[in-house]
Amino acid sequence: MQLLHLAILSPFLFAFIIPFLAKYAKRVHTGWFVLILPVLLFIYFLPMIRMTQSGETLRSVLEWIPSLGINFTVYIDGLGLLFALLITGIGSLVTLYSIFYLSKEKEQLGPFYVYLLMFMGAMLGVVLVDNVMVLYMFWELTSLSSFLLIGYWYKREKSRYGAAKSLLITVSGGLCMLGGFILLYLITDSFSIREMVHQVQLIAGHELFIPAMILILLGAFTKSAQFPFYIWLPDAMEAPTPVSAYLHSATMVKAGIYVIARFSPIFAFSAQWFWIVSLVGLFTMVWGSFHAVKQTDLKSILAFSTVSQLGMIISMLGVSAAALHYGHTEYYTVAAMAAIFHLINHATFKGSLFMAVGIIDHETGTRDIRKLGGLMAIMPITFTISLIGTFSMAGLPPFNGFLSKEMFFTSMLRVTHFDLFNVQTWGVLFPLFAWIGSVFTFIYSMKLLFKTFRGNYQPEQLEKQAHEAPVGMLVPPVILVALAVSLFFFPNILSYSLIEPAMNSIYPTLLDGHEKFHVHISQWHGVTTELLMTAGIVVIGTIGYLSLNKWKGIYKLFPSKLTLNRLYDKLLTMMEKGSYRVTKQYMTGFLRDYLLYIFAGFIILIGGAFAIKGGFSFKTEGMAKIGVYEIILTLVMISATVATVFARSRLTAIIALGVVGYTLALFFVIFRAPDLALTQLVIETISVALFLLCFYHLPKLRLKTKTRTFRMTNFIISLGVGVIVTLLGIASSSQRTKDSIASFFVKHSHDLGGGDNVVNVILVDFRGFDTMFEITVLTIAALGIYSMIKTKVKEEGKSGE
Amino acid sequence: MNNFVILPILIPLLSAILLIFMTKNLMLMRIFSTAASAIGIVISGILVQTVFTKGIQTLSLGGWKAPYGIVLAADQFASLLVLTTAIIGLLVGLYSFRSVGEKRERSFYYSGVQFLLAGVSGAFLTGDLFNMYVFFELLLIASYMLIVLGGTKIQLRESLKYIVFNIVSSALFVIGVGFLYAVTGTLNMADLSVKISESGQTGLITVIGVLLLLVFGMKGGIFPLYFWLPGSYYAPPAAISALFGALLTKVGLYAITRVFTLIFIHDTAFTHQLMIWLAALTVIFGVIGSLAYSNVMKIVIYNIITAVGVILFGVAVHTPASIQGAIYYLIHDMLIKGALFMLAGTLIALTGTASLHKMGGLIKRYPVLGWMFFISAISLAGIPPLSGFVGKFKIAEGGFAEGEFTISMLILLSSLLVLYSVLRIFIHAFWGEEKETPKPNHRTAKGLLYPAAIFLLLSLLFGLGTEWVSPYVDQAAETLLNPEKYIEAVLKE
Repeated sequence: MQLLHLAILSPFLFAFIIPFLAKYAKRVHTGWFVLILPVLLFIYFLPMIRMTQSGETLRSVLEWIPSLGINFTVYIDGLGLLFALLITGIGSLVTLYSIFYLSKEKEQLGPFYVYLLMFMGAMLGVVLVDNVMVLYMFWELTSLSSFLLIGYWYKREKSRYGAAKSLLITVSGGLCMLGGFILLYLITDSFSIREMVHQVQLIAGHELFIPAMILILLGAFTKSAQFPFYIWLPDAMEAPTPVSAYLHSATMVKAGIYVIARFSPIFAFSAQWFWIVSLVGLFTMVWGSFHAVKQTDLKSILAFSTVSQLGMIISMLGVSAAALHYGHTEYYTVAAMAAIFHLINHATFKGSLFMAVGIIDHETGTRDIRKLGGLMAIMPITFTISLIGTFSMAGLPPFNGFLSKEMFFTSMLRVTHFDLFNVQTWGVLFPLFAWIGSVFTFIYSMKLLFKTFRGNYQPEQLEKQAHEAPVGMLVPPVILVALAVSLFFFPNILSYSLIEPAMNSIYPTLLDGHEKFHVHISQWHGVTTELLMTAGIVVIGTIGYLSLNKWKGIYKLFPSKLTLNRLYDKLLTMMEKGSYRVTKQYMTGFLRDYLLYIFAGFIILIGGAFAIKGGFSFKTEGMAKIGVYEIILTLVMISATVATVFARSRLTAIIALGVVGYTLALFFVIFRAPDLALTQLVIETISVALFLLCFYHLPKLRLKTKTRTFRMTNFIISLGVGVIVTLLGIASSSQRTKDSIASFFVKHSHDLGGGDNVVNVILVDFRGFDTMFEITVLTIAALGIYSMIKTKVKEEGKSGE
Repeated sequence: MNNFVILPILIPLLSAILLIFMTKNLMLMRIFSTAASAIGIVISGILVQTVFTKGIQTLSLGGWKAPYGIVLAADQFASLLVLTTAIIGLLVGLYSFRSVGEKRERSFYYSGVQFLLAGVSGAFLTGDLFNMYVFFELLLIASYMLIVLGGTKIQLRESLKYIVFNIVSSALFVIGVGFLYAVTGTLNMADLSVKISESGQTGLITVIGVLLLLVFGMKGGIFPLYFWLPGSYYAPPAAISALFGALLTKVGLYAITRVFTLIFIHDTAFTHQLMIWLAALTVIFGVIGSLAYSNVMKIVIYNIITAVGVILFGVAVHTPASIQGAIYYLIHDMLIKGALFMLAGTLIALTGTASLHKMGGLIKRYPVLGWMFFISAISLAGIPPLSGFVGKFKIAEGGFAEGEFTISMLILLSSLLVLYSVLRIFIHAFWGEEKETPKPNHRTAKGLLYPAAIFLLLSLLFGLGTEWVSPYVDQAAETLLNPEKYIEAVLKE
């Protein structure tokens, strides 16, 4: 165990003492204690930039299950470190913000911070481990902590709904990913991502390549809220706003992006990867931005916006695959560069926007855009934060979003020049979709800003008298927007420190030796197509925003019954109600039904096996002669059996059954086994007597209720079972072995067992152990009957079904 | 030859008999049965270690050599299960003190439990097919006694079904053993394996194998033979359900594993493929059942069926990875089912209802119980670092490697619905607005929770400490995959 492992586990360890702090240090807001940890971790990770910058990595193994190859291997490279800094950096700001957002009097702080720390640790684990099984563990832990945080206000119906929805979707993706990891393990015989990257040739040629890729992508897409799995993210907004800012925009939803980037070296060579990743991303981007425009809840706008922005980053990662075919030229690697850059930018502006929305919600009591308006004068600082955030999101200068948006366009425009994967025909769609998505992004950004802060102030609509937020709540978003501005002017701070090393992780094979990526981001390239596209966005977007009321109607064109949410709800009800119906259908509670199923199963399984495998044979060899006695006895036995079944009263049935037993005893007599015959007689007598005694007290048989079909089914089933057992018996008897252990018993019962009656010697000596336990069984039976009759306990609360 | 092998059977048997005479003194009974169970754990722990260092331990009873006499044979698979059984016996005993009620305790309850443990351990340890039948009878008769003990209406109704089904399956068991004996002339399982290898697995022998699969499948609760299970496990008090849920179906699975890794191994294309299909159907119907009900106990019960399917799949795939996975998962499931039944029982005891619709907001009053449900849900779903993970992952690995993609994915994705089925308890009972429950007398859950807490702790340790367990599991799997080792130990001593 090294400091690195401890760093990842520290949030979990810290989470253990939180309940005590929340309970015994009530005067201080628990958040203050929690804040220390992410800050410390951030300070711990920050200097590692120097290491990754020089192209080095750090690897440290803590053995967990070495015999299965599952070890807690921490591996820090550019990509991992970038995420670690995001997690701890944004984590610190969010914790600070939460101290003012969550009141220590009204809210349960203990659980909140426990979940938050659990998430922080899990997320650090996801991005810093090299072993896919450990990655999977942390992956599911992020889903679980997200579940708990969404359900934090557990009394609200919607919180519970959103929590369950996010869990179902992200965990199912996680399980698919686990499947993908197992497949990769089967191909490479290793759980280490680095090992897998080394064996990329082997993987590429393997027949399991495509299934593994699709399964892993399913994990990434569900987590990163890509179409059609994004539906959980809008409902996740039921979580407290700090959580939305942290998990559902800045970090957790980017875990999918992390996985795509991380596995690019393994999969990106294939055409399938290129098409799936870039198209899903691009489509999600357009879809998300289009739907964001229609929302009226501030957080919903941001949720759809996040969906769209994640799609944008993912599409860039998909497009960046081309570089693997063309080699290391800036012309093709720009997409990866832009993806990483935008990832950071998105965290800054979206984080600040969430915090601003949180402030508005906190200070006015509503997030409904229809009730808000005119807050510019009342909340000037919040307004400024929102202004910078939305403009950056819309891709306007002088903010960081502008730079990455331009680079996004560049990378999409360059797709048209690919001569790979038959891109030519459809290549033009890439920049077109990118542009359309960006127009909608512009529109919802403006809507978010102006509907809230311009227009008329409507105090009568608000629950609270609006006022500016306390300083503590303003500090974190101000830091974030300050970053958004300064990253516009000095983007190259990031280029050398974070983007270049992260690209090394995406393209580990592109560079040989001491080569480096050279990332240089500039604000001005002259009048380029990209700039014209941005200008077009502003013009069309402004028109679109101003005429929003006129074209709003198109949203109604989407039939409300066919939405993905409807589908999810339908599936869920079907799952619960449908399962109930199915189960109720066959679990009738009637013994006769269950017996019917089981005997039907018997007929199908045994009869089927018999039919398929053959195995039936009939030999008369070794049989005793069949004489008159045998024939008579058999006939008696058969007719008694039939009589038992058709008997109209219990008495007849019992007597007929007795006849069967006594006939059997006669068979024993004929075949010269007098002691068996005696035993059989005794048993038969006792059981008939007991039956008569018991049945005397029972009500009369009711035979009328049984229908014809019921009788027919019973007849067929019983006939089937009887025939199969008989055939099996005949076959076994015909294929009887001559070499049986019985010969040993016969031979040695006298000299070794000291008795001449072989059966007796077997029972009491050779297999005395069996007999002892059979006797025990009788004892327990007696004990059980006694205690059943004697003991009566009051009914418990179970009968209510 | 090692007389030690019989102790895991003998200790519970003798204590059961002695306990019959202690019904007057409640405290004495409790202490005695706890002590007996604790000794049982120590003994089976030593057995595990002995087998680990010295290989398979056998004992020819009465000095009659195999294949003529009865042989007990403790390989690592059986020993691990005997140890797990002993642990479950102890914890269920502890849970019983506060839950089954004095009346039941005084009516030979602890004797019944110990008889059951003797039967289960015997079924695991015996090397003789007919003797296995005898131990099945022992554990069944003890289970009849326990299921009906207390004589509530629902118990009487459901135990009738339980008894009828088990009599049917016992009858089929005897028929199967009889036919097999006729064809092979032997009852010793190692000898059966040798005989069938020599003479070839004829069509008839395969059919008899399927018959035994059906018999054990009925005990194990596989599709389409589990119909008796939901009702009968629902009827008795939670402690008894926990004992049944954790142990009884697993005996059936053990027997399937034993005979289909030792005896019927020459036509796997038919028998094992059949098992794979049945396993998949079992998982599907188990999951459907666990989502169908809003009754806490029913949810837990249907989860048994799902787990049985998962384990059966591991056994059926029959590769080193999948067999290891099946062993891991079998032990895991015994622990976690014990925990879940106790938790469900506690929930019912506290609220006076089993229906989720009548519960709500309990997390405020019973946070520990709530979080224990949460943890057991995660463990059940196979999320690391809890115990379900390694087993499920190994089973899936084996399945993928053998080309069973669809069913392996089905097994993995069933985890999602398993997780959801138990988290529904958490969401509906512990989240939401507080509701008035039929039994609002704020009882504390403390005494009821610690046995379940120990189970969960074991589950966590089992997951975190997989490295320590894995040599034992490896050994167990290796013996199962190389029957000649077992045969040599039993026949050639």
